[in-house]
Amino acid sequence: MSDSKAMTVLRANLWTNNPIFIQILGICSTLAVTNNLRNTLIMTVGVTLATGLSSMTLSALKDLIPRKVRMIIQVVVMSFYVILIDILLRAYMPDVSKQLGPYVGLIITNCILMGRAEAFAQANRPLLSLWDGLTSGLGYMAVLMAIAVVRELLGFGSLFGIQVMPQGFVTWTIMIMAPSAFFLVAMVMWWAKSVQAKNTAGDKPVAKEAGK
Amino acid sequence: MIPLINPITLFFASIFTSNILLSNFLGTCSFISISKDWKSAFGLGMAVMVVMTITTAISWLVLTYVITPLGLEYLSFIVFIVVIAAVVQILEMVIDRTSPALYLSLGIFLPLITVNCAILGAILFMQIRSYGFVQSVAFGAGSGAGWWLAMMLLSAIRERTDKSPVPAGLKGAGITIITIGFMAMAFIGFSGMIAVQ
Amino acid sequence: MKKDSMLYVVVFTFIVCAVFVFVLALANQGTKDLVSANKEFATQSAVLGAFGIPFTDKADAAAKYQSMVQKVSTTPPQSWKATIDGQNYIAVEQAGPGLWGTISVILAAQPDGGRIRGIRVVSQNETPGLGGRIEEAWFIGQFDGERTNSGKLVMKSGAEATGGADMDKENGIVDGISGATRTSQSFGIIVNAGLARIMAGGTQ
Repeated sequence: MSDSKAMTVLRANLWTNNPIFIQILGICSTLAVTNNLRNTLIMTVGVTLATGLSSMTLSALKDLIPRKVRMIIQVVVMSFYVILIDILLRAYMPDVSKQLGPYVGLIITNCILMGRAEAFAQANRPLLSLWDGLTSGLGYMAVLMAIAVVRELLGFGSLFGIQVMPQGFVTWTIMIMAPSAFFLVAMVMWWAKSVQAKNTAGDKPVAKEAGK
Repeated sequence: MIPLINPITLFFASIFTSNILLSNFLGTCSFISISKDWKSAFGLGMAVMVVMTITTAISWLVLTYVITPLGLEYLSFIVFIVVIAAVVQILEMVIDRTSPALYLSLGIFLPLITVNCAILGAILFMQIRSYGFVQSVAFGAGSGAGWWLAMMLLSAIRERTDKSPVPAGLKGAGITIITIGFMAMAFIGFSGMIAVQ
Repeated sequence: MKKDSMLYVVVFTFIVCAVFVFVLALANQGTKDLVSANKEFATQSAVLGAFGIPFTDKADAAAKYQSMVQKVSTTPPQSWKATIDGQNYIAVEQAGPGLWGTISVILAAQPDGGRIRGIRVVSQNETPGLGGRIEEAWFIGQFDGERTNSGKLVMKSGAEATGGADMDKENGIVDGISGATRTSQSFGIIVNAGLARIMAGGTQ
């Protein structure tokens, strides 16, 4: 495995420092849409782009931003990219935009954006920050898609809207409602942490995020 | 068109039947980190409730009298965030002056209220559902009260779970999230309670 | 200019905000036409869908809307007329309070309210996955060609909702969404209000 900075960042964001089960960021907004695979995909792509682009922009501006207004400027940059995404969705994918409703706007307060801006973009070059943002988004996406698979499959009997379960399948309504998302996130955390604990003591962590 | 929900009903519904955290998932990040200590949880909960009520009210005014007449809907997110940031900044100064002990114990979490998903979330829900002014205030206050209530309950439960034998992989955040899941289930039991629901 | 001086802070913040707002304004302007075209199409497809007039794409929808549908009132609440296979129908835009916000639908029926032609949801803010299911084909399909009991429809909700669709078109009963009692009830009220408006001529 190449030890270049990029690979290190990729490995970290997908596994050892995954935004959801290690950093515990970003649970807020996107969990709400995870009862549907298509919406989850679109939301997480949105988060990935917003994180990457805003990290890159903030990294480029980092020497110019005065300390006093650092947080405000960060938030303005993030809002800018999220609004851009919202405008593009409204114009080119109106039905999706309607389904996602206020949750697109909530990407702004998704802790991952702020978290990566503070932890990485502050101290690294723009291109690497872009990569860090994108890979954080990917790690985030992987976990949420896994959760969404379980929730949509058991709650609606479908995947991406295509009926998969047989006719007689009684859907698990709990999977459509809030508590299931919390339980599933905790399950993923438990699994990931147990695997990582087994792999500590020096050797490389299992880089494949097995998911489903 | 303004929905016909009685503000008082809306207030209670936002606390129990559609709790902004337990039903709508908003505000979980800081929730998990600060609920360990009862006193700071109480203080933060109160601060979030105050900020939510004030910002929802101000945002409604800005939305109705500035954004909509000027056709600047696409800028609403930025405007809302700036309103939140300003209110939090002022609150910080007020707390610093009146209760330095609370200011110290809240530490970094006070400015982080600005990016608390629940606050922006409440404002966005208000915008999408076209609430009137009184409804918006009731909704903001109710959502804040609901967040505070969930925070209190979680913090009380955590005092117990932190002392219990929890599997290593679940320690800390894992068991907290499971607890939140159970709380969410319990709150679903309120569903028939209020006429709105 | 020192980075922490008040002047720098203000100027910097101002410039950053100005640049970003400018770009957003450009993006907004650039997509304005597309967005309003989308809105147009959404209304047209809802009206055509309620009338049961099939269409293949945006252009076809616009053409069919122009030729087959007449707008009766130009101010909200809107209503339309169409004649399909020799039978007259009236469609109205009807809105009412749902569980969380306003539910807005386009309902088409015979002028005497005896049979519903179809219904389409224009906007709703209900719980995704529960009340939000009023937009799904199985639920909406129940209303196509459903006979009414002297202008009123019965909505089975709460414990009575079976979780499936009521396929009998002659009984004047439709199945609500199990787990979404209030939304189902509100939907039933809106449909009946729309029917009442159609029977009253469809213009108020």
